[in-house]
Amino acid sequence: MSSTQSSTPLLSPQLLAQLERLELVSRKIFRGRLKGERRSKRKGQSVEFADFRNYVPGDDIRFIDWNLYARLDKLFLKLFLEEEDLHFYALIDTSTSMDFGDPTKLQYAKQLAAALGFIGLCRADRVKIEALGASRKNPAPALRGRSSMWRMLDYLNSIEPGDNIPLAQGVKDFCLRNSGQGILVLITDLMDKNGYEPALRFLLAQNIDVYVIHVLSQAELEPDVTGDLRLIDCEDTDVAEITVSRPLLNRYKQTLATFIDGAKEFCTRRGMSYLMTSTETPVEQLVSNYLRQRGLVR
Amino acid sequence: MNFISALTPLQWILLGSVPPAIISLYFLKLKRHPVEVPSTYLWTRTIEDLHVNSIWQRLRQSLLLFLQLLVLLLAIIACFRPGWRGTTLIGDRFIFMIDTSASMSATDVGPSRLEAAKKHALGLVEQMESSDVAMVISFSDVPRIEQAFTNNRSSLRQAINKISQTNRRTDIGEALRHASGLANPGRTSEAGTSDVQVADALPATMYIISDGGVPAVPEFAPGNLTAHYTKIGTATPKNVGIVAFSTLRNPEKPGQLQAFARLENSGEEDVEVDVELYLDGGLVDASSETVPTDGAHGVSFVLNDVDSAILKLKVQYKDHMSLDNEAFATINTPRRARVLVVTPGNDALRFAITTEAAARVADVAFAEPATLETQEHETLALAGAYDLIVYDRCTPKEMPEANTLFIGRLPPAEGWSAEAPKLSPLIIDIDRLHPMMHLVELGSILIYESLPLKGPEGASSLVDADSGSLLMIAPRKGFEDVTMAFELVGEYPDGDINAKTNWPRRKSFPVFVMNAVRYLGGARASLNVVGSRPGRPVELRTEAPTEQITVESPTGVRTKVQRESQNSFIFSRANELGVYTVREGSEREAGQHFSINLFDGRESDLVPREMIDIPYFDETTERVGVHASAAEPSRKEMWKLLLILGLLVLVFEWYVYNRRVYL
Repeated sequence: MSSTQSSTPLLSPQLLAQLERLELVSRKIFRGRLKGERRSKRKGQSVEFADFRNYVPGDDIRFIDWNLYARLDKLFLKLFLEEEDLHFYALIDTSTSMDFGDPTKLQYAKQLAAALGFIGLCRADRVKIEALGASRKNPAPALRGRSSMWRMLDYLNSIEPGDNIPLAQGVKDFCLRNSGQGILVLITDLMDKNGYEPALRFLLAQNIDVYVIHVLSQAELEPDVTGDLRLIDCEDTDVAEITVSRPLLNRYKQTLATFIDGAKEFCTRRGMSYLMTSTETPVEQLVSNYLRQRGLVR
Repeated sequence: MNFISALTPLQWILLGSVPPAIISLYFLKLKRHPVEVPSTYLWTRTIEDLHVNSIWQRLRQSLLLFLQLLVLLLAIIACFRPGWRGTTLIGDRFIFMIDTSASMSATDVGPSRLEAAKKHALGLVEQMESSDVAMVISFSDVPRIEQAFTNNRSSLRQAINKISQTNRRTDIGEALRHASGLANPGRTSEAGTSDVQVADALPATMYIISDGGVPAVPEFAPGNLTAHYTKIGTATPKNVGIVAFSTLRNPEKPGQLQAFARLENSGEEDVEVDVELYLDGGLVDASSETVPTDGAHGVSFVLNDVDSAILKLKVQYKDHMSLDNEAFATINTPRRARVLVVTPGNDALRFAITTEAAARVADVAFAEPATLETQEHETLALAGAYDLIVYDRCTPKEMPEANTLFIGRLPPAEGWSAEAPKLSPLIIDIDRLHPMMHLVELGSILIYESLPLKGPEGASSLVDADSGSLLMIAPRKGFEDVTMAFELVGEYPDGDINAKTNWPRRKSFPVFVMNAVRYLGGARASLNVVGSRPGRPVELRTEAPTEQITVESPTGVRTKVQRESQNSFIFSRANELGVYTVREGSEREAGQHFSINLFDGRESDLVPREMIDIPYFDETTERVGVHASAAEPSRKEMWKLLLILGLLVLVFEWYVYNRRVYL
């Protein structure tokens, strides 16, 4: 088990430079709270024309289209699209099982969250990165603006593994506290003996754009084990006795493939985006290639 | 396959309890290595599926368990000492004697008897223990030590594989002496002491691998040698062979030639064969002959106007041996003898030596005794320019390099002497078997006087009279000297020169002179067809004196031969069957031919013999002679092999354990 406080920085300068050019995209258009840098459903002040409507008393006369009044002798009000901010949430699973792999899955999740968070901060979006179940002891700050990057990184660095609350419980907590709309990226290994489905159903209930990023370590994808072993679950100390053999390994891979396919199908059917990644895949590559393809960033 | 238990019941029970122990240990063995994993979630789901056939699955998963049980199984089987009846070699010193004679080329056992014999010998080498030593001897009519005693099996195998077929006859005697020399070392003794054995006797076992076509060896003492004979060949081989082929001029019709051949059939049925006669490669005659089983059949052909030729007789019959299906005979141009008659004058001799018959075989020259004094004559006589010199009432200063016939005088050579002349000798006996006296009748012959002869060592008397020998022949350095003790014509005491015997008036005189010209002139060698057996030395003579001849074998191998005495050449490399060509000096053209044929009824008789007739007493069968036997039975055990297999499995298990090979 390696330390979560990795000496490597979460975001390298090269990655930062790369991320600056990207922006978060939501497939849904949500209403933000503050004026931001993205188009909103709401009409408001911007340079982009949206529509006309009849003038009613009380309207700001600065928006009356005087040219139209000259032609039609009627008062019309020009409406412009309002530019708003986007709420970006990143939920990181901090259960003990995430503290495996090289780099650990948790470290990988932090890097990914930092990268996505930084994109949001650069575009003046509202970024909130939260560890599952951590709200009680270490509430996550809501961040906005590039200057908040250090706060974000500090928060991420302070996240420790070991909050072994069920996935569903953690997600439920989050949903109760954050009812806003936006984008939610759930970074987890989905290794919950009660199943991941209840947790994802909670998210479904929110009107939110959900991305599930399923992080697995290489040891889980290609187990390098031999001999007669007693496997101990690091979360609940559950024991599984195995004698490693070729059929057993084949069977394991089959089970793993079924598990991944199941999660993928569950998400796709419910309009969530699912992406399985290995800790071996560099974060840069994941952000710039895979997430771009999925439409989370552009 | 049978089994012998190597353990007591208690030991068996202990051994039998090991496999259940291993299996139970395998199931009880719960010292699993603990490993912490992120989640047993997927593993649990995986092993749940596999729990269906749990026990079998667990067994199947463990390659190591299987290997351990396999090792144990092999050990248990080894303890049963499984074995079978095999063969073994007796003793620790072996002599493998492989027959390479012509009959071993028979193909009744494929590919040939010799190959089968070699295969058998290789099998015997395989059966040798590592401490055993063996030697390999191949024999035909001469033995050959292919490999001296060694315990190096690869040398033995190599030596056996190198053995090649010969065209020779079989004579095992020399090979047996070679073999027994080792087992029975020689003894030495000095006067007044008892025998001393010079070396320790080393008993050896001799394996004769042959078809048994071996002449009896009456004089052989096996001593410490034990003999085994392995018979090679099927009981019913087919073979028709030519065992004789010769030519003869018809004495009544000059120019006509008769060719005789003898065929033998060693098969089980009467066989009808086509016999073809080729003259210089062209077919001239053929006949269909029936050769009875186990019998012989003669064939004859008549050829006209043949002076010199190569004859080939061929039997068209598909049998198991091809070597004896062809025979060759050569007819060379008769070589004329060169005869010099030195006489002061002798009409009777002149008439007798200048007959038509003599003129056909000899060139006769006459000379006065005075010629003997000349340098030219001495040079010619010493260079071998004459085959025969007749000295009538005269003697040379030095004996010539030629055969001689002295009439009325003693040769000036060592050993010849005579007593005082005796009057009227009476002829008592004639050596009729000698070629010189062939058809010579000396009854009622009157002789005036004779010198009772005493010849040198090796001389033999051809005509004996009451007073002593009248005609003697003695060898001299490869030549022969004949001395007649009486004069044909001579001076009587009264000074009258007249005939001193009435023999020249008898018919026997020209016959005697003709015999002398033929025999001493060397014409007999050239008039006859030269032929020999493979491996034997061939004596050749040339027309003119020459220092060297070249002999070309049937396959074109040329050999140079240097002159021996009396203008003769000994060629000793006649190993191939067929016609050899002789070239004299630097002559390119073939001077004469001679043929080498197998001509051996024993080799042509392919039926393998049950016994080799040597003075050997077989103690187990209580019979004399070496009888064909199967190899000694012995129990062959495979426990060593099983243990080696077990070791290999153990090594594999070690590999599996270390390299973590999965099933």
